[in-house]
Amino acid sequence: MTGRRSGGVIAFAAVLALVTGCAPVPSGAPGIGGGSVVPPRPADVTESVVPSGTAAGPESCDATASLRPVGLPPAGQMPDGSRMKVIQDRGRLIVGVDQNTYLMGFRNPFSGELEGFDVDMAREVARAVFGDPTRIQFKVLTSEARIPALEDRQVDIVVRTMTVNCERWQKVSFSTIYYQAGQRVLVPSTSDVTGIESLGGRRVCATKGSSSLANVADAPSEPIAVSVPNWTDCLVMLQQGQVDAISTDDTILAGFAAQDPYTKIVGPPFTAEPYGMAFPKQDEDFVRFVNALLERLRADGTWASIHRRWLGTPPAPPVAAYRD
Amino acid sequence: MLVEAQRNRGVVRRVTGLARSTPGRLSLVALLLIVASLLVGALTAVAVQRRSAALEVLADRSEPLAFAAQEVYRSMADADATAASAFLSGGVESADLRRRYEADVAKAAAALSTATGEITRSPELSTALSTLSGQLPVYTGLVETARAHNRQGNPVGAAYLREASDLMRSRLLPAAQELYRVETRNVVRDLEDAGAWPWLEALLGTLLLAALVMAQRYLTRRTNRVFNVGLVAASVACVVSLLWVLVASLVVVSDASAGKDGAAAVDVLARARIATLTARGNEMLTLVSRGSGTLYEKRYAEVSGELKGLLDQAGHQPPTSAVRQAGDHYEQWQQAHAKVREADEKGEYTTAVGLALGSDAGGAAVAFDKLGADLVEALGRSRAELTDTIAGARGALSGAVPVVVLLALLTAAASTAGLWQRLKEYR
Repeated sequence: MTGRRSGGVIAFAAVLALVTGCAPVPSGAPGIGGGSVVPPRPADVTESVVPSGTAAGPESCDATASLRPVGLPPAGQMPDGSRMKVIQDRGRLIVGVDQNTYLMGFRNPFSGELEGFDVDMAREVARAVFGDPTRIQFKVLTSEARIPALEDRQVDIVVRTMTVNCERWQKVSFSTIYYQAGQRVLVPSTSDVTGIESLGGRRVCATKGSSSLANVADAPSEPIAVSVPNWTDCLVMLQQGQVDAISTDDTILAGFAAQDPYTKIVGPPFTAEPYGMAFPKQDEDFVRFVNALLERLRADGTWASIHRRWLGTPPAPPVAAYRD
Repeated sequence: MLVEAQRNRGVVRRVTGLARSTPGRLSLVALLLIVASLLVGALTAVAVQRRSAALEVLADRSEPLAFAAQEVYRSMADADATAASAFLSGGVESADLRRRYEADVAKAAAALSTATGEITRSPELSTALSTLSGQLPVYTGLVETARAHNRQGNPVGAAYLREASDLMRSRLLPAAQELYRVETRNVVRDLEDAGAWPWLEALLGTLLLAALVMAQRYLTRRTNRVFNVGLVAASVACVVSLLWVLVASLVVVSDASAGKDGAAAVDVLARARIATLTARGNEMLTLVSRGSGTLYEKRYAEVSGELKGLLDQAGHQPPTSAVRQAGDHYEQWQQAHAKVREADEKGEYTTAVGLALGSDAGGAAVAFDKLGADLVEALGRSRAELTDTIAGARGALSGAVPVVVLLALLTAAASTAGLWQRLKEYR
C-alpha cells in the first residue's frame, strides 16, 4: 500500500466518521415516570376552612336548657296524637347515629353491629317507647347530614355526639344534656404540641359540619383546618402524616387514642361541648318524653352503667336544665 | 472532440435505427415486459406483506393487549366490589372472598405487566399506565391496613377501606378504562388496516395483463401468428397471481369486517361484565353506608340501566345461550336487589345484608355470580370467535408473497422467452 492511498483511506474514514457522527438520533421511548408521588387521601378532604361563625362564642340563649318533661307513659302505650304514637304505630324508632366514632357510635368489625355510648342511649329510647330496645332502625349520618336528616324527617331522633348550641336550636330541638364533653387536641406521641395554642400554621383535622371544625377554624392561634366526612378519616390522615393534629371532643379523641397507641391527648379542654339528642323542631312532645326518660336514666343508674360500659368510671350525670 | 461526437451520433443512430427496426422493437418490448412484471410483482408483494403485517400486529399485539386491558379493568373493578363485600360480611372475611380478592390483584398485576410492555407503542397511554402500576400497590397496601385494623376491632379499618375504594374509583378505574378504550380502538384500527380494499393490487395486475395483451397483439400483427406460447404463459402466470392476490385479499376483507363485528361484540360483553361489577360494588357500598348511601344506590340504578342496555345490545347479535341466560339472571338480580332495598328501607338491616350476601337461591349474591359466569362464558366464546377470524384471515394470506414473487419471475421469464423466439427469426 502506498502512502497516498493510505492517506486517502484515512481521509475517507474521517469524512465517514464526521457524517455518521453529526446526526445523533435519540431514543423515542418515553421516560419511566413515577417521579411525582401522589399519596392516597380519604375521599372529600377540604382544606383551609373559613371560620363559619358557629363556634361556641358568647351564647345568645341558654342552649343547655330544654323543655320540661311531663311524665313518662308506660312502654307501648303512647298517648294518641303524639309523635311517640306515630313511632309506635310504625313499629320501629329511626335513629341517626354514627358508625365511625369509636366508643360513642361505631361498627363492631367482628359482628357488623353498631355499638357505643350513643347507640345504647338510643336503645333506651326505643325501650321506653316499645318496651323493646331492638325495635330500632339505625341510619348512619355524617356530622354534616344531621340537621338536614331531621328537617327532612328521615330520622325521628339524632343521637350522635351532637353539641347543643343556640344556632342549632334555630333548626332543631334538643333534649337535656346527656353527656358533657370538651374539645381537646390529639397529636402523635412524638409531637411537641401542648394544646390548641401551639397549633398555629399547622394542619388540624375535624369533620365537616361539626362544631369542632368551627372551633378549630376560629382558634386564635390560626391553625389550618382540614375537614373530612367521617371522624375516622381524621385518624387515617394523622397516621399517614397528612395532618399534625386532630381536635375535637375528648370522647371522640379517647376513641382514637384507644385505636392508636402512638397518639396522646394534650392540653386542657378549651370549649364545653354538651351533647343532647336532637329532634325535628316541631316534635316538642317527643322532646319532653325523652327528657322524662333521661331523668329516669340519671336517677336509676342506667346512665352510669352505660357510661361504665363504654367510657369508664362514671362521673355524676350532667344536671338537666329546663327553659319552661 | 469531433471523433467523439461522431461516435456518439453513430451510437444514437444505431439505437434509433434499432428502435425503428422490428428486432429492436421486439427487444424493447421484451425489456419493458421484464421491468413491468418485476415491478408489479414487487409492489404487489409489498402490498400483500403490509396487509399480512397488519394482521400479525393485530393477532400478536393489539388483540392480546386489548384483552389484557380488559382484564386489568375487570379485575380491579372486581377487587373493589369484593373488598366491599368482605367488609360488609363482618368479622374476619370469608376465605372465598379473600381468595377472590387475591386472584383479582394477581390478575390485575399480571395483565398490567403485559399491557405495560407495549408502552412505547401507545405513548398517549403512559399516564394511564403509570397511574395503574404506581397506584395498584398503594391500593393493596390500604386494603391490608384496613384488614389489620379490622382484625384488632378498630373502626378506623373501615376508613382505610373507604380510602382504598375512593382511590380505586377516582384514579385506578378511570385509568383502566382509558387503557381499555385505547387498546380496543387499536384493534378496530388494525382490523381496518388489514381490511382495506385491494385496489392497488387489482390495478397493478390489470395493467400488467393489459401490457401483455398489447404485446401479444403487436406480435400477431407483425408475425401473423395468433398466439405466442411464451406470452400466453406469461399472461396465465399474471392472471393466476392477480386472482390469487385478489381472492386472498377479499377473504381478508370479509374476515376483517366480521372481525370488526366480533370486536364490537367482545367490547359490549366486556363492558357488560364490568358494569355488573360496578353495580355490585355500589350495591355493597349502599349497605355499608347504612342509611346514608343514597348516592351509591343512585349509581347502582344508573349502572344497572347501562348494563341492561349492553345486555340488550349483546342480544341483538345472534344471541348465544349464555347471553340469553345473562338476561334472565339480570332480571333475577334486579328482583333480589329490590328485596334487599325493601328490607333495608324497612329497617331490617340484618335481613338486607343476608339477602345481599347470602347463598340462598333468591339472593342477590347468587344472581350476581350467575350473571358473571354467563358473561364470562359469552365473552370467552366471542373472543375465541374473534381470534379464529383473525387466524383465518392470516391463513388466507399465508404463502401469498412467495407466490406473487415466483409468478412475477415466471411472467418475466415467459414473456422474454416468447419474444426471444421471434427475435431469433431475425438473426
